[in-house]
Amino acid sequence: MLDLEPTLVVLLFSAISAAAAVFGAGPFLFRRQLPIVQIGWANALAAGMMLGAAYVLLIGGLPLGAGAVAAGAVLGIGFAAWSHTASGTDDLDLNRLEDTGPTYGYQVLLVNSLHSAFEGVAIGAAMALSLPFGVFVALAIAIHNIPEATVLCAILTGRRLAISSAAGLAVAANVSQVMLAIFTFAIVDAAPGVLPWALGFATGALIQLVMADLLPESYHQAGHRTIALVAIVAMGIVVLLRTAVA
Amino acid sequence: MTHPVLTVFLYGLVTALATGLGALPFAFLRTVSPRVVASANAIAGGLMLGASFGLVAEGTEYGAWQTLAGALLGVLFIIGTQRLLGDREVAFGDVRGSDARQMALIVIVMTIHSFAEGVAVGVSFGGGATLALVITLAIAVHNIPEGLAITAVLRPRGVSVAKCAGWSIFSSLPQPLMAVPAFLFVETFQKALPYGLGFAAGAMVFMVLEELLPEAYDRARRPVVALQVSLTLVAMVLFQQYL
Repeated sequence: MLDLEPTLVVLLFSAISAAAAVFGAGPFLFRRQLPIVQIGWANALAAGMMLGAAYVLLIGGLPLGAGAVAAGAVLGIGFAAWSHTASGTDDLDLNRLEDTGPTYGYQVLLVNSLHSAFEGVAIGAAMALSLPFGVFVALAIAIHNIPEATVLCAILTGRRLAISSAAGLAVAANVSQVMLAIFTFAIVDAAPGVLPWALGFATGALIQLVMADLLPESYHQAGHRTIALVAIVAMGIVVLLRTAVA
Repeated sequence: MTHPVLTVFLYGLVTALATGLGALPFAFLRTVSPRVVASANAIAGGLMLGASFGLVAEGTEYGAWQTLAGALLGVLFIIGTQRLLGDREVAFGDVRGSDARQMALIVIVMTIHSFAEGVAVGVSFGGGATLALVITLAIAVHNIPEGLAITAVLRPRGVSVAKCAGWSIFSSLPQPLMAVPAFLFVETFQKALPYGLGFAAGAMVFMVLEELLPEAYDRARRPVVALQVSLTLVAMVLFQQYL
């Protein structure tokens, strides 16, 4: 499969990753709404996998130049924080299942699109480091997208949206992932010197998103110990799979 | 020329004393508002997460499964310790209740983590490393942020700077103690090293996720806490890369 044109590999796997969100609607085929505790688990699962992906990107990037990776990470952290502030989505709760106001609706979709944009940078940068590594990161983010979409679908179906529409919107919110993956890959292809910066940027942004959105959210939805356990196991699985593949 | 075992021990002791330096920045902290506690937790969390990234990277080079198995044991160890501390009235100096429990926990976690680091020091000496002084210096400097992490938790809860430095040094004492046997029996300890590194990483990450971060989020705004954790994490990783 990796005999394909490299850009096509990026397109294919970032699209798979974006489309994986459709499975996030799965639980709603069987029940109308999930208990808030389970939404917390989904958030913690997504957080742990994202932290694992950040670790993998960081360790992959450091040999290329620790200074550039760290500088890129600071940029990524700053940019992720800025995008939250600028879009008015910092301090946004992702569990207001009863809030059906129009503002909350677009904010939730915006936050999800922002997340997938930064995940797209991660996929593109990882692909530029090496295609097998990129495929690994894309698949890790694909699985991460499932619990993330479950949280989104919980909010959307709470707004009386049909399951099919909720699943469709969850995938649509990930389109930025495909675009940014190809964009990042093309940039690094044109200027290979920016690769450690791009890997650092993705690392920093993912860590910031975990710390600003996913974790604080989940602590309100389930017990601290449960959240910590779910997140650390998810993180461990990503790290283990990476070393098993490498 | 002194005996090599004594040399390893003395070098290890120097690295332990360096941990005390981590308490110094807090000498200038006067007021302790909830925001300060949140920041201190966030910084300690970032330092410990960054340190764990380094430990896992080193451990997986010896063996990925062993590192992860060690991490699992580390998590179980924290849960066990919490159960033990939760059952009884814990006092840490004049402090009681959940604050005292957390203070005791960070000292225990960081001390346990020094056991693994001590083994790493001993193994690297025994591995025929000629740059012993450089390694010692590196580990000594590397210990300073660990003292910072301990002080960040103890100081806002009313422990004096001198005592913070004392607890920081205490937490690093296992380093010289473990370095010596690891140096003498490199082959045996090398096998145990990934488990130890994983154990330390698992214990630290779990403590950050379960104790430090939720408390920080309760006392300050999310974006601020997130920025502090993320930036400290990156700084710690960079710091370890160059030392």
